Amino acid sequence: MSSSAIIAAHSSSWAAALVRISPYTFSAIGIAVSIGVSVLGAAWGIYITGSSLIGAAIKAPRITSKNLISVIFCEAVAIYGVIVAIILQTKLESVPKASIYEPESLRAGYAIFASGLIVGFANLVCGLCVGIIGSSCALSDAQNSSLFVKILVIEIFGSALGLFGVIVGIIMSAQATWPSKF
Amino acid sequence: MAGFSGDETAPFFGFLGAAAALIFSCMGAAYGTAKSGVGVASMGVMRPELVMKSIVPVVMAGVLGIYGLIIAVIISTGINPKAKSYYLFDGYAHLSSGLSCGLAGLSAGMAIGIVGDAGVRANAQQPKLFVGMILILIFAEALAFAQSRRFMDCELYQTLGHGNGRDLSCSFVL
Repeated sequence: MSSSAIIAAHSSSWAAALVRISPYTFSAIGIAVSIGVSVLGAAWGIYITGSSLIGAAIKAPRITSKNLISVIFCEAVAIYGVIVAIILQTKLESVPKASIYEPESLRAGYAIFASGLIVGFANLVCGLCVGIIGSSCALSDAQNSSLFVKILVIEIFGSALGLFGVIVGIIMSAQATWPSKF
Repeated sequence: MAGFSGDETAPFFGFLGAAAALIFSCMGAAYGTAKSGVGVASMGVMRPELVMKSIVPVVMAGVLGIYGLIIAVIISTGINPKAKSYYLFDGYAHLSSGLSCGLAGLSAGMAIGIVGDAGVRANAQQPKLFVGMILILIFAEALAFAQSRRFMDCELYQTLGHGNGRDLSCSFVL
């Protein structure tokens, strides 16, 4: 433990504050952000799409069943958040009290935190994007039914952003290795 | 602690750099996709035959997300204090690289979105504008492309061993 005190004393003022925060705090916040903010993005997208869809369907009721696909694309974003939150919480291990503030466990805490942040906010913007495009898809489909498939292609580009977040989150969570219990 | 060399809290800044690279690039890609997508959908009501040609801004915005993904993966696999010592310098360098690439991606995405939206609507009325719109989109995309290319060249320079991790001309890009 003395060597970690030596390292901390030579580091910056940020380090002096950061080494006193438990890595489990960072991990817990990361896991919470990954699911909470993802679900926020999904909900935001769903209400943007849903309200446009219902309004457009007043004059063109034929569009309702096809355009539910946009709502499903938004929902997928929330499912990505749940999956990554479950993966991250299986990466948590309990370490003996003496090694909670060791450099390796600090690094594991930071990795889970950053991974959760990435997944949460990438899914937030993805849900928003898919929601906005889904609403335009419903409105243009109501006026000209040949447009549905073409605008759906744009929506697929939008939903790839959530997948990027999940990929990077999972790659980064592989760095969360805690010190062994001995 | 055998095998761990470097500063304890440096990975915090390193991982946050990777996070910033992806999050801001995805924000730019989302803005670009959504804004030009709305333009395409509005324009397509009157001219459905032009829709497939007008998907170009959407594709260019999606590529920004891929830049962010590549940079984030390069940064996060470079944080390995057991294999290579990771000091606060490296942590701050990764943070600045991630922020610069991410914010460049965000700005490029916003530019592509606004230009794409205006461009596809104008192209529907005046077909000669298509080439002009593509040229402006390429200039906007170059903002993010140049930044991420510079970062990737820099990382390769370091990992191939020519730099010693403290090469100031590499990490802090203008």
